[in-house]
Amino acid sequence: MTITTEATQNVLAGPLPVPDPDVTAFIYYEARLADEARYSEWEQLWDDDALYWVPMHPDDDPRTTLSYIYDNRNRIKSRVAQLNTGNRHSQTPPSVMRRVLGSHEVIATEGDTVTVASNFVLVEYRHDQRTWAGRVLHKVRRTPSGLKLAGKTVHLVSAGGPVNTLAFLI
Amino acid sequence: MTTTETDRLAVEPPAPDAFDVASVVQDHRVHGSVYTSPEIFQRELDTIFRTGWVYVAHESEIAESGDYLTRRIGSEPVVVVNSKDGKIRVLLNRCSHRANRLCNADAGNANSFRCPYHGWTFSNDGSLTAVPMRDGYGTEFQKVRSQLGMAEAPRVDSYGGFIFASLAPEGITLLEHLGGATKAIDRVLDLSPTGKIELRAGWMKHLHHANWKMVVENNVDGYHALFTHASVYDAIRPAKVSHIPTKVDVVVRDIGSGHSEIDYSAEYRKLDEEFVWYGRIPRAKLPEYVAALEERHGPEKAHDALVVGPSHTLIWPNLFLAEMNVMYVEPIAADETVAYTTAVIIPGQDKLNQRTLRRSEGAMGPAGFLIADDGEIGMRNQAGLAAHDPEWLELSRGVETDVIDETGVVNSDKSAETPQRGFYRQWASVVGQEIRA
Repeated sequence: MTITTEATQNVLAGPLPVPDPDVTAFIYYEARLADEARYSEWEQLWDDDALYWVPMHPDDDPRTTLSYIYDNRNRIKSRVAQLNTGNRHSQTPPSVMRRVLGSHEVIATEGDTVTVASNFVLVEYRHDQRTWAGRVLHKVRRTPSGLKLAGKTVHLVSAGGPVNTLAFLI
Repeated sequence: MTTTETDRLAVEPPAPDAFDVASVVQDHRVHGSVYTSPEIFQRELDTIFRTGWVYVAHESEIAESGDYLTRRIGSEPVVVVNSKDGKIRVLLNRCSHRANRLCNADAGNANSFRCPYHGWTFSNDGSLTAVPMRDGYGTEFQKVRSQLGMAEAPRVDSYGGFIFASLAPEGITLLEHLGGATKAIDRVLDLSPTGKIELRAGWMKHLHHANWKMVVENNVDGYHALFTHASVYDAIRPAKVSHIPTKVDVVVRDIGSGHSEIDYSAEYRKLDEEFVWYGRIPRAKLPEYVAALEERHGPEKAHDALVVGPSHTLIWPNLFLAEMNVMYVEPIAADETVAYTTAVIIPGQDKLNQRTLRRSEGAMGPAGFLIADDGEIGMRNQAGLAAHDPEWLELSRGVETDVIDETGVVNSDKSAETPQRGFYRQWASVVGQEIRA
């Protein structure tokens, strides 16, 4: 068992700022698109330097350690393209999903980019009902064409495994 | 117990082992109960995992004295440890006092294991070194104390860094067990400038809702890719070489003793192109690695190693050399299996290794473009088995075109079910053996 909050927040002390309302709305929108298997619309949220990361342990160094998912922009495109074939058996039909995000805190701000940490619970129904939970970090960037997703890191509570098939957008 | 009962028990002969393996495995077909029956599952644990060699760990994972890992052999929890005397031991993970599981981390480094229940302490060679408040025990205990170390797998051996253990005190040697499968291990080691690989990138643990044999058999099934993985080839990139058997010199091989493989080497040698198995990357992109490999092998052999690439080989019963990945499985129940997957790390080749990690994530594990769908198909296999008719699963594909040569039973149609037939010949011989009470 791992305490993800310390590793992902570097033990940030004291209360943290909440995100601006448009950033929070953007995060909710991202969650809704993922829940509803709206793959192409979801892909459009991403900026060019995107990183979609689901590590096996919060302290892992991806240069030397395997992750469940470590997608750059190109691989995000491939992942979505595979899902869009309608022939990705592990998501055919897509899981029925709803996730709840809460406890949003701004944990970093760099120029036009803000990193928001949230806790989430996701209920997936496929052949039976499964629950996924964890801490998600959204790196959201203000651009001339609106908000873009530069990074999404998902620290699963169950990252230690064994984990079920994770072919949907977590 | 009354005297009469005792007498009756004493005279009754022991129950014969009623299991008839021919009732569930026949030529070219397997009965559905082989995948669903809890009794057969238990029998597999008692035979395959209790009497034979089973893969447990890799030497690179416990490189230093005191390093240990917790694993399982069948259903039995074990500690694989680099003991203080330099010997690699596979200890049963159980306190000899009240059976508490001693070691609870996935991995660590320790000179000793102390039971948290009553404080009994064992050296990392398994011997019992401390019993708290020992005066409370009488002389009867002192007589047996020296025998109360952690139990140990009686046989542990390794080949090319892959550590195997057998819970049976006697049997064939590891080399006899591996037979021709050593070549598959050699083939991946040939890709390392040091002749060694490391499995230190972490193991993805993926829960499959399928019988363990469905998970491992699928790895050497050359028939399914065109269908199960069509979404990858349609959406992302074509297969490395065609999956149409008549178009390629790819063979499937039953190596014997349950080991089997899909062998691309003839096709790759025909193409005479390096790294076809690695996204067709030009060698100019990995100059340090290629130079180091040529330093070890000379240019000609290095070229050949880079042409043929790593093996795609199932080593009976639980290890799969998945090209630049390694997978092993743990059977949990008749319908549940955990697959562990990691990437092959080549010592000193960081640039190559990072690329390997990203390729591994792309293909393997619970979110992998390939294995997620294999997991789904395995689950549906298990679901389909609930239908009682037909009772048997067909494994006859290619039976008339199998050819026997010095490497085993080979079929030049990669979609032939030659590997599965070899798997079940071994299964019948191991699971069908008489179980001694």
